[in-house]
Amino acid sequence: MKKIIFISISVLLLASCTTQKTLYSWGKYELTSYNYLKNTDEKSIQEIIENYQEIIETQKGTRNVVPPGVCADYGFILLQEGQKEKGKQMLMKEIVLYPESKIFIERILKMIEE
Amino acid sequence: MKKLIYTIGIAIVFLSSCTTTSKIPKSTAYKGIYDEQPLSVLLMPPINRSTNVEAKEYFHSTLNIPIANAGFYVIPPFLSMEILKKESAYDAELFLNSSLSKFHEVFGADVVVFTIIHKWDKSGFVATVKVEVEYIIKSTKTNEILYTRKGNVTYDASVSTGAGGVFGALADITLSAINTAATKYVDVARACNAYTFKDLPAGKYSPNYKIDGEQMSGKKNYKVSLNKNYR
Repeated sequence: MKKIIFISISVLLLASCTTQKTLYSWGKYELTSYNYLKNTDEKSIQEIIENYQEIIETQKGTRNVVPPGVCADYGFILLQEGQKEKGKQMLMKEIVLYPESKIFIERILKMIEE
Repeated sequence: MKKLIYTIGIAIVFLSSCTTTSKIPKSTAYKGIYDEQPLSVLLMPPINRSTNVEAKEYFHSTLNIPIANAGFYVIPPFLSMEILKKESAYDAELFLNSSLSKFHEVFGADVVVFTIIHKWDKSGFVATVKVEVEYIIKSTKTNEILYTRKGNVTYDASVSTGAGGVFGALADITLSAINTAATKYVDVARACNAYTFKDLPAGKYSPNYKIDGEQMSGKKNYKVSLNKNYR
């Protein structure tokens, strides 16, 4: 009996090291962003766009809010792809979610209009 | 009684295996962060002093997540990179010792993160990567260093993949356009960043904001072995 308690406590302690829930869920972001950074070809652009959509639409983090930068970077890539309206919308969404981004994002929105 | 002591002893070993901390609370070690309460973080492109040209991208694409998950606002990495390039400010080395006020003006950044990759060595026979990497977070207001750590990391890539259960994740995912070597090396950088920033004080969006000052900071210079299971 004592042994069982001991083992279960140990397992609990070990598990507490690894299974913390994080503020945000990111899908395969590390790989898609690496690939985009490295190659910026059609395939990597498509994959990072799908990743952004997944992060935005099925957010599983404890905050239940889209993580910082995601809407803005998604918007930026959409702009590069010629989707001007949707891209601008995403940039503006970043300001709504994170007002501290206003200085930077408004600068970008101005650059687009020039 | 003996048994109890034994149990407690083992429990402590288990607990301490999670982190290796210094004896300095975060509120002392990273006093500047608690004083200034920065929110917006600008990631500079990593400075690569290693012989591996690829190392820069491995680190660049994995810096975002641990800092955002700690509760900070990370300025959109790709968008900011584009502007840094346009403004000929892409070489972070130039700003390591100069005024950072411009970054506050243009990006609204409260702090800037510098990453210096000193070493990235693959030892061919065994699947090990040895990395020496330094992180410096500087205030755009005072140019003071608010946080710095330097790691000597040995990453063991030989840990079997298999059905990882709770550990599964990165290594089991291979994107079509990315080869397995790159997947592995992205994970080396991810593990380095995740380990280092474990002791970063919580930012505004974290439930631990302003209440984690008593927790112990990690060692400023550390040596650690990591593998893909490290989260």
